[in-house]
Amino acid sequence: MGVLELLLINHPLDCPICDQAGECELQDFTFQEGRPATRYSPDYAKRFNPVEDFGPDVLYVPNRCILCTRCVRFMEDVAKEPVLNVSERGDRAYIGIHSEGRLDHPWAGNVVDLCPVGSLLSKDFLHKARAWELDKAASICTGCSQGCNITLDTRENVVVRVRPRPNLEVNRYFVCDHGRMNYRWMNRGDRIEAPLVRRDGDLHATDWDEAFAFVASLVRGAGGKAVALVSPRASTEALFFARELFRGQEWSGAFQVVMGEEAPLAGVPNLALRAERAPNARGAELLGYSRDYAAALAAAETAAVVLVLDEPDIAVNTAGALIYVGTVLPERARDARAVLPIANVAEEEGTFVNRDGRAQRYFQAKSAPGMARPAWWVFSELVATLGEQAGGHVATAAEAFDRLAASVEAFHGLSYTRLGFAGAPVPTAPAVPA
Amino acid sequence: MAIGVKVMKRPGAEVSYLRATLKGMALTLSHLWRPKVTMQYPEEKSSKDWTLSPRWRGTHRMLTDEQGRAKCVACGLCPQICPANCIKLVPGEDEQGNRYPLIYEIDEFRCVFCGYCQEVCPEEAIHVGVHYENSEYSRDRFVYDLERLCAQTHPVSTLWDPSDPKGE
Repeated sequence: MGVLELLLINHPLDCPICDQAGECELQDFTFQEGRPATRYSPDYAKRFNPVEDFGPDVLYVPNRCILCTRCVRFMEDVAKEPVLNVSERGDRAYIGIHSEGRLDHPWAGNVVDLCPVGSLLSKDFLHKARAWELDKAASICTGCSQGCNITLDTRENVVVRVRPRPNLEVNRYFVCDHGRMNYRWMNRGDRIEAPLVRRDGDLHATDWDEAFAFVASLVRGAGGKAVALVSPRASTEALFFARELFRGQEWSGAFQVVMGEEAPLAGVPNLALRAERAPNARGAELLGYSRDYAAALAAAETAAVVLVLDEPDIAVNTAGALIYVGTVLPERARDARAVLPIANVAEEEGTFVNRDGRAQRYFQAKSAPGMARPAWWVFSELVATLGEQAGGHVATAAEAFDRLAASVEAFHGLSYTRLGFAGAPVPTAPAVPA
Repeated sequence: MAIGVKVMKRPGAEVSYLRATLKGMALTLSHLWRPKVTMQYPEEKSSKDWTLSPRWRGTHRMLTDEQGRAKCVACGLCPQICPANCIKLVPGEDEQGNRYPLIYEIDEFRCVFCGYCQEVCPEEAIHVGVHYENSEYSRDRFVYDLERLCAQTHPVSTLWDPSDPKGE
């Protein structure tokens, strides 16, 4: 109580306008242990310093600072880029930034999460929502192949923030700024909301049953090579059932990975924003999809069926039937024979396999628009329509994963429930089922 | 005759309605000389026997500061506590970096006038009013926006105070 009273000497009473309110450690402790009223006279003027702009996404409000120095120590010991210090002494002390430095380290956003009070604020999240309005869902970052565990904070079905979720095996307690900002596309409004099939030269909206029958007839009547151009941002289950669709047929599959700059977090071993900006490239590889996208594009030209899974920038020319399965409908996909709407990563459950071969689950954070459904459901229903589904329909992501684990050697022995929130490494050496 | 009906013989003084009528008229006429309790609403809106309670909870009013701006800092407590979900709030930031409500709307039709919004407000900005005359030509006029809430001039409620339950 006494310590709290000292911390509150200069702490302003601005909880109503502070973004941290509701998830503030000082607020929680004061609520639990603190005095019901202050003993300082109202004439006493609290220390005042203006708000400072620290970096691309970080604001510093010195008035609220309790000088715990977590941010200073993070930048020094973990990021190994010591741009912050404690300036001045005694009650004049504040967090100072190097006169020529900026808090623009690719992992600098973590100081906002580390700050126990509302002193370091994210400009992106500033005034956007109150902590108690947010619904939280465990998820996996789709920004790169590291597979950092994150929490998606949603408010009224809109993702408003990404925060790290501790996983000592993958990302410890951190997530990089690239991943932190990589959520806006999840809220896109221009989504496909109903299955579309081509009739008399035009795409017509229809229901799922008819769409499945239509696509199944396309796949069955193809009588030639099939090519699947998939997204490395699709769930492992979706990639598995997309493969099952062409079982017993000559097919090839490929994916394309966008490359960026690698940005390691120096103080943590094996943690970086990876150059490969795709969360499930490893999973796609394990399922037999190749990285040779150019060859697949060439093969697609003469293929009888081309399946495109959520690649908005497709540049495919084909003489065969184009089936586009995606969240949004790009211009190039308007020639497709059928378009099936799917949920994005925030709207479905599934798993990704990160670069170290760790299968990790992500959970649903918001509801999908219209008739959009998880891609694994769409593909498994298609397989069922083709009549090749052993074991009947797949109703949940858990069933989808367990079926994948049962039939793909690399995933033998894994179970969806046992993956839990922390995930588990994919057994690289193919285990023999008992 | 299938059913035999027995006709009672009663004295004429009992059967006549004349007595009851006179009795009723006497009561009615006696009221002419009694003190009047009718209030001539709407010409007359309160009397020494009847005034609106200071704890009355009517349509809202937003208080303003010296510069005429709403006192609200968009903390989000009133939409959170509102049991009828009638408050819409979108926070924003002004040129000085102060938090203020970009949009603040109260749907007075949805409101149940519980007064929780006033109770929870840390800035003493939103209040329920001592006010009961609300009529408009269209229903959407009952969604009060910030400007309208600030423009209200009626007195505000002094909610029930648990430490002073009788209002003394």
